[in-house]
Amino acid sequence: MREIIARFQAVGAAALTIDIEDSHSGNLAMKWVDADGAPHMAITATGSQKGDLKETDICFPGIDRTTYGHYKASTETDIHAAILSLPDVGGSIHAHTKHAIIETLDDRRKPPAEPLPPLRPVDPLGFYHLRSVPVEWFAVPSGSPEMVKLITAHLKNGVAMMTHGHGAFTRGRTLEEALYHAALVENSGYVLWLLRLFGIDPRAAADFVAETPPRNFPVPPTAYTNESDGECDFKDEPDTVAEFLRTGRRIFESRLSPFHTGSLSLRGANTLLFAPKASMPRNLPGPLLERPLMPDAADTAELAFHKEIYKHSNFQAIAHTYPAEAEVAALAMQPEFANSAECGTRNSFHTPQYIVPIDAEGSFLYLKIPLLPPEALFEEVLRALHDYRIIIIRGRGVWAIGEQSLSEVLHRVSSVRDICYYRAGAATRSLNLAALEPKTAENW
Amino acid sequence: MIEKPGGYTNKILVIDLATSSVEERQTGEELMKDYLGGRGLATRLFCDFVPPKAEPLGEENAIVIATSPISATKTPTAGRGHLVFKSPLTGTIGSSNSGGEWGAYLKMAGYDALVITGRAKHPVVLFIDGDKSDLSDRVAFIDARNVWGRDVHATSDSLLNTPERKGARGLFIGQAGENLVRFAAVMNEKNRAYGRGGPGAVFGSKNLKGIIVCGSHKTTVADEAVFDAGLKHAHYKMRAAPGTKRILRELGTAGLVNLINWIDMLPHRNFIDTTHKQADLDRICGEAIADTILLKPVGCYRCPMMCGRRTQVGNYSGEGPEYETVVLLGPVLDIYDLPAITTLNYLANEFGMDTISLGGTLSAAMECAEHGLLPARVIGNHKLRFGNIDGLHDIVRQTAFREGIGDLIAEGSLRLTTECGAPQFAMTVKGLEIPAYDPRASYTQSLGYMTSPTGACHLRGGYAVSLAFFGGSKEIPRFSVRQSPMAAHNVQNLGIIQDSAGICRFTGYAFGIDVIARLLTGATGLDFSVEQLEIIAQRIATLERLFNNAAGFTAEDDTLPMRFQTEPIFTDGAERVVSAEHIRTLRKAYYEIRNWDENGNPAPETLQKLSL
Repeated sequence: MREIIARFQAVGAAALTIDIEDSHSGNLAMKWVDADGAPHMAITATGSQKGDLKETDICFPGIDRTTYGHYKASTETDIHAAILSLPDVGGSIHAHTKHAIIETLDDRRKPPAEPLPPLRPVDPLGFYHLRSVPVEWFAVPSGSPEMVKLITAHLKNGVAMMTHGHGAFTRGRTLEEALYHAALVENSGYVLWLLRLFGIDPRAAADFVAETPPRNFPVPPTAYTNESDGECDFKDEPDTVAEFLRTGRRIFESRLSPFHTGSLSLRGANTLLFAPKASMPRNLPGPLLERPLMPDAADTAELAFHKEIYKHSNFQAIAHTYPAEAEVAALAMQPEFANSAECGTRNSFHTPQYIVPIDAEGSFLYLKIPLLPPEALFEEVLRALHDYRIIIIRGRGVWAIGEQSLSEVLHRVSSVRDICYYRAGAATRSLNLAALEPKTAENW
Repeated sequence: MIEKPGGYTNKILVIDLATSSVEERQTGEELMKDYLGGRGLATRLFCDFVPPKAEPLGEENAIVIATSPISATKTPTAGRGHLVFKSPLTGTIGSSNSGGEWGAYLKMAGYDALVITGRAKHPVVLFIDGDKSDLSDRVAFIDARNVWGRDVHATSDSLLNTPERKGARGLFIGQAGENLVRFAAVMNEKNRAYGRGGPGAVFGSKNLKGIIVCGSHKTTVADEAVFDAGLKHAHYKMRAAPGTKRILRELGTAGLVNLINWIDMLPHRNFIDTTHKQADLDRICGEAIADTILLKPVGCYRCPMMCGRRTQVGNYSGEGPEYETVVLLGPVLDIYDLPAITTLNYLANEFGMDTISLGGTLSAAMECAEHGLLPARVIGNHKLRFGNIDGLHDIVRQTAFREGIGDLIAEGSLRLTTECGAPQFAMTVKGLEIPAYDPRASYTQSLGYMTSPTGACHLRGGYAVSLAFFGGSKEIPRFSVRQSPMAAHNVQNLGIIQDSAGICRFTGYAFGIDVIARLLTGATGLDFSVEQLEIIAQRIATLERLFNNAAGFTAEDDTLPMRFQTEPIFTDGAERVVSAEHIRTLRKAYYEIRNWDENGNPAPETLQKLSL
């Protein structure tokens, strides 16, 4: 029981941190199995503070007769019970995914005459792991039998759905995986919302990426698993472990990559220390592995890419993250969006393309950040990493290298997020981005 | 393909002191591409001229000084030269870098590098005037018998204050170099030094009192746009970064005293411990210098940092002390008297001695004396004890002249302690005294000392200090066996490139190898991308290793004195040593990263890949 409560507390705090739950909203639920193999349910209490869950905030109603056992369980208990009864589902979350809510608001008359348009992610994580997120309007948008039926029906086929004006319901094999899907929904919504700042219609962007997915997303992001979460191969170096956890926490809390996405590594003499999940909230660490530097057939594509970079360089640290701002900045520079604010800059349509910082700190650190196309070859990636230390690959996230430390690569991805955000902000004000770019960047 | 690389003069001047002959050779594109300049070019030329088993103070040894393609341009700090020789202190390759303006003037005299071989029949000073059209006129062998026996400052005043040498720059040795003190320095513009490893003694052994250079050759760059972009960004970063915009100018390098002490890395009493009273440090730190003896900050060629200190103690003025000098002539001797440290520094500059090795050897002598191990014949009236300043100035003078106890100190720590039967008191690696950072406080620093080609040098071994607390986001844990080998390798490679590009280590606080790559590529039109520079750094490191291995050094020499392996200091919450096992593990990992075998021999495929 103590372990269940601790998981609720960690997931609740993480959800609050990335603002997909406000102080009291949303709910978390998970299935657990007793010693006799009987399934049970645990769910947050109605009105409980998700960021600071107490032991008494976790309720244990029956999974088949939810009125039994706890009068203070969430209003959405029946919905969660139904979701948790689906095969292979161990966790579910209802989250107020704000940007996804905004992006799926529809002002036509209700009830709608036809199905509401789904949320269509244009970022690689959402595109691969969520596909299209259906949206439903409910006359009674909280805990209604209608919701139980429709939400469960959607989650039979997909991992997430949106309720109009109320947020996401997501499922997972575990509570953590349900959080992962909720985080991706919000990230996808945020990407779409940011696109608007550049004057790009999200529907046009969705059509663009859907037209030729292999061209836009040639490298699928790593599939989610939490089998080895919390394991550590190098506990004998507590300082190094602390460095990984600190970096992972910052990536998560500063939203440099959605929950449990991306990857980090540090290079030793003949091994590398590898965190297959770069974005790690407090108390929800991913695995911390030590692996030989030599390629191995069992390596994931992500691990193999880290190894290949080290094989051809003297870098000591690598970070791979998916900052929404960088993805949007990259999309906005495509010729297909010729009317966007980005495409009005001097970099437009040139090969190679660069993101040029317009803020003081950004241009102190980087005069240019290369923007590589999705199909960039390894040699191009490596050369750009050598010359610029950080690169954005459209549809493949941000890769940063460090000559020394994890802190160094964290600084890089943190900067690139800000750099892209300022450009987006300047675009909303219809400012001339080219005029804000340092002249020195031209010959860099 | 460009017709001729920019940046370089494409000329190397070779002088044989034995025959007074002078020859000009082309640098050639191959040397440029493979060895860049500065440390790389000088090392390659040195290895071509000097057999590894050469006697350091014999005629076979050579002196090579090289500049870079961005020397004498507007690049910040690009006036440095790099001097390579075989060290009479260690027997390893000697490799020393100095600021000031002399390096830029050698370039303005029209040369990428200068090679000096042989031994003059009598003391000479070389005068290279690049504006003379005829090679035979361009190099003059000035009879230096009238200045032999004079200190650096007097020599400099005598030889440079003449109408025909107005505006020229000079390198000179003092009495220490003449008397073959094994850690004698070559002084650059009086107070800068090619200090470590005893290049001054090599000058002395060749009867070479100094080298004067002048000229008005202009360095042309191949691609102005690329070079300017690098230049502007370099200057911008130097103006903005905290380490380069303010701290070094205000406090000089001695601003490190408190910072190093905060991480328990500041050595005390011949590295017995790292414990100091704060009140004592307050009397010798950079802030104390600024408040009490500083006349003005001084800087090298095109350097906005101005970390040098023009100081005055009573009526005696000079330059210094820098951080290393403060510590080695201060707390390492258990002395916290700033005027005393400063005047010891002045003397060392005038006699031409490396203050790190001087301080290290004095502290070894003090420890021997406290154990009653110094031979009575050399002690004389001296009360050589930790904390006792009395008589130290005299001992420094005696060292320069090899008189009395000075004759033993002039041999350096290892020989002195061996003579006393206590080599365990020599805080040296490969015979070179350890600078002012205790290795027990950082594995990366330890590994840097162990694997530096010149022995315990914080610069040739990699300026790991920059990672410890000036590294900003580059800081790494101080006690990670997994991270330190690669960190040491990378910081060494960066240092090799900085030394080969002729720029100061402190630029690293503002900009990195990516900026250097653009400056070099813009200046030359050659591919000096970051990737290429990494290969060049590996080539240079491996060439230095090959020389040392051929000179007789082995993996067993890549170690630390027993004190650091067995006598702990308390830091970062624990009692810490760098144990024999740590040493083996760190060394093995470092070799693997360098593609050297377990004995530290570069693998054949490494040599082939690097065209060595």
